[in-house]
Amino acid sequence: MTAIDCPGLAAPTRPRRTPRQRRDTRAAYAFVAPFLFLLLLFQYIPLAMMAKNAFMDYSLLNPDAAKFVGLLNFEDMLVFDDARESLAATFLFAFGVVAIVIPLGFVLALFLNSKLPARGIVRTIIMLPVVTSAVVVATMWNFLLDPSNGLVNGAVTAVGLPRQPFLTSPDQALVMIAVMTAWQQVGFAAILFLGGLQGVPKELAEAARIDGATAGQVLWNITIPLLSRTTLFVVVIMTVFSLQAFAPAFLMTDGGPQDSTNLIVYHIYKTAFVMQNAGYASALSVVLLVIVLGISLLQMWLLRARWNY
Amino acid sequence: MARFRKPVLLALVLALILLCFFAPFLWIVSNSFKPQLGIFSDVTPISWRTFLPMDPVWENYRSLFARTNILQALLNTAIVAAGQVALTLLLCAMAAYALTRIRFRGSQAVFVVILLTFLLPVEALLVPLYQVVSGLGLSNTLTGIMIPWIASPFGLFLLKQAFEELPRDLEDAARIDGAGHLRIFVSVILPNVKVPLLTLGLVTFLFSWNSFLWPLVIAQSPEVQVIQVAIAQQGSPTQLPNWGETFAGATVATLPLIVLFLLLQKYFTQGMAMSGIKG
Repeated sequence: MTAIDCPGLAAPTRPRRTPRQRRDTRAAYAFVAPFLFLLLLFQYIPLAMMAKNAFMDYSLLNPDAAKFVGLLNFEDMLVFDDARESLAATFLFAFGVVAIVIPLGFVLALFLNSKLPARGIVRTIIMLPVVTSAVVVATMWNFLLDPSNGLVNGAVTAVGLPRQPFLTSPDQALVMIAVMTAWQQVGFAAILFLGGLQGVPKELAEAARIDGATAGQVLWNITIPLLSRTTLFVVVIMTVFSLQAFAPAFLMTDGGPQDSTNLIVYHIYKTAFVMQNAGYASALSVVLLVIVLGISLLQMWLLRARWNY
Repeated sequence: MARFRKPVLLALVLALILLCFFAPFLWIVSNSFKPQLGIFSDVTPISWRTFLPMDPVWENYRSLFARTNILQALLNTAIVAAGQVALTLLLCAMAAYALTRIRFRGSQAVFVVILLTFLLPVEALLVPLYQVVSGLGLSNTLTGIMIPWIASPFGLFLLKQAFEELPRDLEDAARIDGAGHLRIFVSVILPNVKVPLLTLGLVTFLFSWNSFLWPLVIAQSPEVQVIQVAIAQQGSPTQLPNWGETFAGATVATLPLIVLFLLLQKYFTQGMAMSGIKG
């Protein structure tokens, strides 16, 4: 930070600087106080409560009757299958979303970064699902995927294939909600990739082309390696986002069939607010928090180096 | 030959993108203007009929507004979103001012305290947050829906960046004239960060309008329901006999955002790209 005083004024005001500094400090704390107060109340206090409640057995209907149970909630997580299955479904879901979003988002970004016509329209259209709420997207796809009257089955039968059960099949439900989430987020990924592409110096590609490299070689050997930071960034964002998905399980599958789409946030919601087992839900939340923090810290550690082009 | 093949390929790719991303929206909106039987009979075989209402009817919208609390929900959502945008801008701008334009003891510590919350996944705090907010007597209130998100670390970072880019000379003149921090903040700094404020305002509006899980747990009673919760309760294809009404609800819930997005696309996209820092 630079000094606030102009150099010319610094010398004569030096003796009076201390009261002024004190005034500045008072003003600064007055400016940040409302923000810090709400942050304490709605982030730090809940965080501390969650850490404590993970060792309690209680319900949200009567939280005062909480009983300390030590590590029982965490032991339950290991003994019963629900947590492991829910986490497995959530990771599979996140992996599916990332696997679709990264290549498609990258290709769309290449298109948006080119000089081809209709870029503006494509940019607008792929952003429509991004600004649409998860609830509306889930509702929309619920009907699109309806086995008897849905549009997707209309298209499937139009090309001569048999009707598919989609959300009522334990094999297809998780795949379908991953496809839906990827459909919603791919425009966002494309915008992030586009930002990275616009930072790639054009001279490099031009020099390679002059040396006789094909467009494919430039893409593979120059553009993609230069975008590794952006790619890691998009992977992490999409993973963290997917790990916290809730609306698809709540609106489309109720976590089923056979718990195949019992995403962790939906599992936490049901455990705390429906089954009224808030202690166990807190323990599950701690696990989710640790996983997400771990991913974020891993990202920071990977990006710490200065391989920034 | 190659010169001819390229535009054809391009047109095909464009048509595919249009089909994938736009057709579902078109299907929903056009079906909101059809009676139930029309929706079903137009699905197979797929034709232009599937995507266009040939005899548009307003019946779905009429029954949606007459039968459900959707109007109240829209109003609630507008109030929550407006309040959340205004207060987020105010609190984040004030905090960003202190952290960028004033040198004070402890500023590093304050920054770290804020930085740490940036990494917290909000959904993981659902249960304790519910206890805090209902403990304050704010469950089933519009205030309770918005208040946890006003101190937004993302908002602070966005504005902090913008404030840091402003030159020092800007406020030096005002300072020599004897202006205090409040006056410098209001009449020197704020007028110079209009675009970042607009960007943050739009992203906050989008976040608030679309939020679902938190309002679902904290504001269940019909008079404080927000639009996403109201839509979610309209049901699934098998439970609900009236598809058209659900589609009308989805259209009504989405239209304000789409219009806003189309008008201010540049700022939206910019804000979304920056919000990438936090998903």
